[in-house]
Amino acid sequence: MEREQILEGLKEILKTIRTVDQSKLTGITEETDFIADLNTPSTEMINIAAKAEQKFKIEFDDDDIDGLGSKVKDFIDLVLKAKARA
Amino acid sequence: MSDKTAAINNLVGIAPAVVLSHGPTKILLDKYLWHSPEAGIVACYTPKERDVKDHFGVFRGVDQIEAFAQATIVSCGAFFERRKLGCTFEELKGIFDPIFFGIGPVRFHSYLETGDTFISIGQITFYKFRQVICNGRIYKTPKGLDLDAYFSGFNEERLLAYDLSNDFILVAELEDITGRALKKDLLK
Repeated sequence: MEREQILEGLKEILKTIRTVDQSKLTGITEETDFIADLNTPSTEMINIAAKAEQKFKIEFDDDDIDGLGSKVKDFIDLVLKAKARA
Repeated sequence: MSDKTAAINNLVGIAPAVVLSHGPTKILLDKYLWHSPEAGIVACYTPKERDVKDHFGVFRGVDQIEAFAQATIVSCGAFFERRKLGCTFEELKGIFDPIFFGIGPVRFHSYLETGDTFISIGQITFYKFRQVICNGRIYKTPKGLDLDAYFSGFNEERLLAYDLSNDFILVAELEDITGRALKKDLLK
C-alpha cells in the first residue's frame, strides 16, 4: 500500500471524527499536525487509530500508539509498520 | 484477597490500594461493590475529614471527578492490563502510571459532606490501546444501607439504566471521563 493511498484513507476516517476541524481537511499533507493544524483533541488520536485498524485491516501494538507522533506522516509510517508486521 | 491470586474475574473483594498507584491520602475509593469487566463498575467512598478540610465540610466537585476516575477508568484500566500482561497489580505499578486525559461535560445536582457515602457508577464506553473512557453518575447512598448486599444482585442491564432505588440521591453526571496508562519511561 502506497503512502498516498493511506493518506486518502486517513482523510476518509477524519471526515467521520466530529472533533476534527473539517474545514481544514482539504489541505492535508504528510506534514499536517493533527493537534496543531487540525485542532484534534489528543484523546481523539486513539479513536483515529482504532478506526485506522478497521479501515486498513491492520493491528497496532499498544506500544506503537505510545510512541506515535502528532503528524500525518507519523501515522502513515505506523500503518506501514503494522502492514509489514502482518 | 491477594494481588497474587492467579485469576480474578473482577475487582470485587480486592482492596483499592492493591489496584491503584495512588498513596493513602490520595485514594478516594473505599471498596469495589460490583464489576463486570467489559461493561462497568460500581464503587463507593465516604469522604474523610481531611477531604473536606478548608472547604466548609463539603467534598469538592473536583474531588468527585477524581474519585469517579479512580473508581472507573483507572481501576478498570488496571484490571484490563493485568489480565492482558498476566502480571500482578504491583508489577503493573512498576511499568505504568495512570494519566488523566480528559473529561467531557459534568453536571452537579447535589453535594456530599463528611460521612456521606457515595457510589461511582461507571459505564465503559471505550477501551483500546490502554485508554479507557467511561460515562457515569455519582449517587449519595441511603444511610445504613448494606451496599455489599444491595449490589450483590446488580447486573449489566441495571448498570446501563442506572437502575437504583429511589432513595439514592443523584449527585453528579459525568461524560467522557478519559484516562490512559502510560509507560513510566515516556513520562520522564
